[in-house]
Amino acid sequence: MITDTELTALRISLQSAALGTFLAFPIAGLIALTLVRTRIRWKFLLDTLVSIPLVMPPIITGYFLLILLGKNGPLGSMLDKTFGVEIIFTWIAAALAAGLIALPLMVRAIEVALAEMDPRMELVARSLGASRLYAFWTITLPLCKKGLIASILLGFARGLGEFGATLIIAGNIPGRTQTLPLAMFTELQAGNDNSVIRLVLLSLILTFLTLLTHHVLIRKRKTEAK
Amino acid sequence: MNAFLNVNLNKKTCSFKLDASLCFPEGISSIFGPSGSGKTTLLNCIAGLTRPDQGEIVLGGKILFSSNQKIDLAPENRALGYMFQDSLLFPHLNVLENIQYGYKTTPARSRKIEIPDLIDLLKLDPLLRRNPLSLSGGEKRRVALARALARSPSMLLLDEPLSSLHASLRGQIMRYLKTISDDLSIPMIYVSHSISEVIAIANQVLVLNNGATVAFDEPYKVLGTKDFASLGYEEPLENLFDVTITERHENNRTVMGRIGEVLFTLPEFPVDVGQIVSISLKASDIILASEKPRGISARNVFRARIESLQRFGNRVLVQTYNSHRWLSEITLDAVDDLRLAEGSTVYMVVKTSSLIPLG
Repeated sequence: MITDTELTALRISLQSAALGTFLAFPIAGLIALTLVRTRIRWKFLLDTLVSIPLVMPPIITGYFLLILLGKNGPLGSMLDKTFGVEIIFTWIAAALAAGLIALPLMVRAIEVALAEMDPRMELVARSLGASRLYAFWTITLPLCKKGLIASILLGFARGLGEFGATLIIAGNIPGRTQTLPLAMFTELQAGNDNSVIRLVLLSLILTFLTLLTHHVLIRKRKTEAK
Repeated sequence: MNAFLNVNLNKKTCSFKLDASLCFPEGISSIFGPSGSGKTTLLNCIAGLTRPDQGEIVLGGKILFSSNQKIDLAPENRALGYMFQDSLLFPHLNVLENIQYGYKTTPARSRKIEIPDLIDLLKLDPLLRRNPLSLSGGEKRRVALARALARSPSMLLLDEPLSSLHASLRGQIMRYLKTISDDLSIPMIYVSHSISEVIAIANQVLVLNNGATVAFDEPYKVLGTKDFASLGYEEPLENLFDVTITERHENNRTVMGRIGEVLFTLPEFPVDVGQIVSISLKASDIILASEKPRGISARNVFRARIESLQRFGNRVLVQTYNSHRWLSEITLDAVDDLRLAEGSTVYMVVKTSSLIPLG
């Protein structure tokens, strides 16, 4: 039967991927908007910077996060002094790792949707009396809905699979920071074949559900258009 | 005529420097010029979508833009209706929701036009639940027009409303525009690259070339001028006019249509008696005769008075009047042979097959 540790690993995976996606989504949106809609000179720098977590080994991304958030790190020491909070080796850290690793994929998905949309649609809305914000809310967001859904689910799926950066910054503490992939790694090392199979099945079900959600949401949008 | 919109601005773009200083009156005005002459840029400056380098735009006493006073109203605060060249309907909203968009953003006290009236006027009732992507070109224009009007604009800006539209729909859209101008008395600026359209619809035309103002006058007066000739306008001139169908002859397959005192025999097409139809007649398809021709196959012969004779390229543009102002093109030799002069009377000869119904 499925053990408590495995169930906890599933819960930690879900909550860290969800929080990571939730935090990364608005940032990804802003970056995508900047990349598609503005004409600033250093845009290529932002473009490159965003892609780094995609290309760099996740373990190194995790190392940078550790330096930043560690007790003596710039952000970590500030959090410790002002709030008395330590993020490192908590499931929040796992969420941050998942969010950061997922960010480039999320940016790309939104970028594609924004680039596909005719930017004049917003001007039409403005000429019809809509403020910038109202036009964004009623025209841009609905027209990019498909890309936004894709972005969230892609980010979530990537967060579920996160291993390297999570290991570095959140550790592999069963019941506290151990996610599905980390549990899988531990059980494989220990040679617990039955546990490995259960974890694989859990992961497969999660993947399937994520893809199914995507399919259902996109399909719904298509029928709405008709 | 009262000045309604004062424009005095310049704007440098990569291909030309737009320089315009004029007063658009109420009624329908037009901006005409070859592509890339700055027509749309000027329209966008008025709408607030493009920012002029300097100058002033004043609409009915309200300053929309002034570089001196540092005023630049956002497009949503200009209360203008803008119909874009390719309609640009919102694909995620249905036809009715598209039309309601601008109505909702307009405060109740500024609403002068109600949506049911627009639906009536533009005959949109069967389309309301449809998705804009499924509409035909003409239907899209009608919806875009209704959407622009639903915000009760104090002026309507139209960017090439007839371009890439099937010929049979041009007449219909033009009649709608005239109806809107007459019934709702909303002034319009109509951007076009077809001088025939401009003549048919506008009271005033601004002719632009490379961003510079070439002329600003009544369309008929602009036609024969040197400045107009300098544009090298190549498209054939058309007479665009509306006739009322008076009779159908089933036996010889013709339809009779009247404009004022002139009665035309038209080619047969599906139309009912009493209906109004727009007709296109090329200026080069009209034959002029100094005496009433006899024994002739052309079905339409009517008298008209010569208003003006102007050189137009290597031809002569003859403007005549009878119930409508007619444009015809003949050669220089023909003018001499027939001894045509302003004020004299000629017979206009038109073949039935030259009269093309536009719906």
